[in-house]
Amino acid sequence: MTYAVETEKLNYTAGRGEKAFHVTDLSLHVPKGAVFGFLGANGSGKTTTFRLLLALLKPDSGRITVLGESMPEEYVSVLAKTGYVPERPHVYPSLTVREAIDLHRTFYPTWDQKWADELLGEFNLVLDRKQSALSKGEAGKLQMLLALSQRPELLVLDEPTDGLDPVVRRDLLSALLAYVNDTQATVLISSHLVHELERICDWIGLMDHGNLLVEMPMQEFKNGIKRLRLASAPADLSNAPFTLLSREEESNGSQQWLVRGWTDGMHEFFTGRGATVREVVDLDLEEGFVEILRSSRANR
Amino acid sequence: MFAAILRTQWKWTRGPALLGFILGFAIPLLSLFSLRSTGIGFAAANVVREMQQYGLLYAVLAGASGLTCAMLSWGHDHRGRHVYALSLPVTRTRYAAMRLGAGAIFLLVPALGVFLGAVIGVATAAIPTGLHAYPFSLTMRFVLASFVAYAIISAISASSTKASAYILGGIGAVVATLFLLGIAGVGQDAVSWIGQALFAEHGILSVFTGGWMLIDV
Amino acid sequence: MFDNIDSRSPTPLYAQISSRIRVAIAAGELAKGAALPSVRSLASELRVNPATVVQAYRELESEGLVATRHGAGTFVQDVGAERRTRDRVAESRRLVRDLIAKAATLGISTAELRKAIDEEIKR
Repeated sequence: MTYAVETEKLNYTAGRGEKAFHVTDLSLHVPKGAVFGFLGANGSGKTTTFRLLLALLKPDSGRITVLGESMPEEYVSVLAKTGYVPERPHVYPSLTVREAIDLHRTFYPTWDQKWADELLGEFNLVLDRKQSALSKGEAGKLQMLLALSQRPELLVLDEPTDGLDPVVRRDLLSALLAYVNDTQATVLISSHLVHELERICDWIGLMDHGNLLVEMPMQEFKNGIKRLRLASAPADLSNAPFTLLSREEESNGSQQWLVRGWTDGMHEFFTGRGATVREVVDLDLEEGFVEILRSSRANR
Repeated sequence: MFAAILRTQWKWTRGPALLGFILGFAIPLLSLFSLRSTGIGFAAANVVREMQQYGLLYAVLAGASGLTCAMLSWGHDHRGRHVYALSLPVTRTRYAAMRLGAGAIFLLVPALGVFLGAVIGVATAAIPTGLHAYPFSLTMRFVLASFVAYAIISAISASSTKASAYILGGIGAVVATLFLLGIAGVGQDAVSWIGQALFAEHGILSVFTGGWMLIDV
Repeated sequence: MFDNIDSRSPTPLYAQISSRIRVAIAAGELAKGAALPSVRSLASELRVNPATVVQAYRELESEGLVATRHGAGTFVQDVGAERRTRDRVAESRRLVRDLIAKAATLGISTAELRKAIDEEIKR
């Protein structure tokens, strides 16, 4: 499998002393053509990671490879093929929409003005309005327009739809998905809107406190996390084929377990040890995410 | 790329540049005008003295022009913490060169004003014999002075916010110290030494002092 | 047709999409020769990964319900009344299976459930 983005033991520290924030031994693998969702609480390191990938920050140690080239050394070549939508709009606010587009496109040889014009219509953006006069949704749409019109091979989107109303979110995601369909571009997208990521992503990564906790195909993650209701619990848990995340005792004596990596047929494990699995419940992405965070923090 | 940067730079700088043009145009005309109105007549010595007095205005305008252009060429990047520029597929040096180049071009606007004002003023004035008009070298000095101011301020504001703060803070500390020393009557030598280094004939800022003579021997 | 695609459901998204289409064909809503929406437009409209739509269409194609003509799109095949009935039955049983499972988690007995179904149908 070729990776659009690959990091190996990436380390970075921001700040000093007690308030320092560490990205620790981050080894990220984003397959080419994937829509990779990045989940994590505020301050977990998602934005920092994106900045490291795009040479906006310099790592303390570790390797970064984006689109086959080493970063931050080859930033000129890589940034020419990367569309970036940062957390806060970064184009000069005093420029009008038209001026922002006219400036931006001169830097990208792959710029597609026809696509930009199409998006202008789809997004309903007024050319002569200053960026500072745009609503939050319009500003977000402009950022997406600029990134997409570059026709990039990689899109790095930092919470592009967070805080926007559903209509704007729909417009943004529609355009993004149409682009992905046409070009097989790779998308790295972070968001707090878990259910949105659940729909559009085929890979998922979870970050917490600067560590990458999970990195796997979306379906595998969702299928693999289950809540088990057990009539009684086996005493011996050695060689369990799944990972136990947490367990709770219920009032009637039965137990509720949260496990990861569950596949069909693992019931066998319990029957052999004199326990019965009453029920296996699927968790959606949000519940799975919360549970993984909870167990990870309990083990710190 | 450069053309686009120049266009955005024009948008930010055109107001001050135009103002600079008007002021630059006015100063030479005013300097010659005052001679007429005082009825002193164009005696050679009076003309030379009058020109010397207006020298300060040119220096101030050149300095202000350089300062404003520098702040306007970096201001927007600075405010956005350079995130936009850093995400562009150009080397940092190339981007800086384009920004600085675009800003510098607008320094020529007030200088053009000075040139036109000087040429027109000189053409319509009766210059006493023995004196000559130097509109061209006046303008050249103006361009050079505004350029020096531009370069210094650009160097300061192009660096990171922290570095700028340190530099400006350092300058402020030095100025404050000299001021206090001056009051105490101590260290006059230090003050005059620094003054020499900066403003005397071969000093860095010497282009600002003396010699703003539109009409001279 | 696709309003209820739910990422929270245990059924994978592609299966929900193919299920909808299967039912529409079985009910005669989608006739032979009808064109399915393009992958691009459906993915865009539903806000799902295009690969999900591709997977749904592929599943239907492997069942012989649709056929993709390169460059033209995906079209409903002539399925035959018997097949359609079979699919309708399969879909109803799936619905019932989900209902029974859900009722069980809520502690409702099959007798209670059956009674409720009869009463609702009467209404």
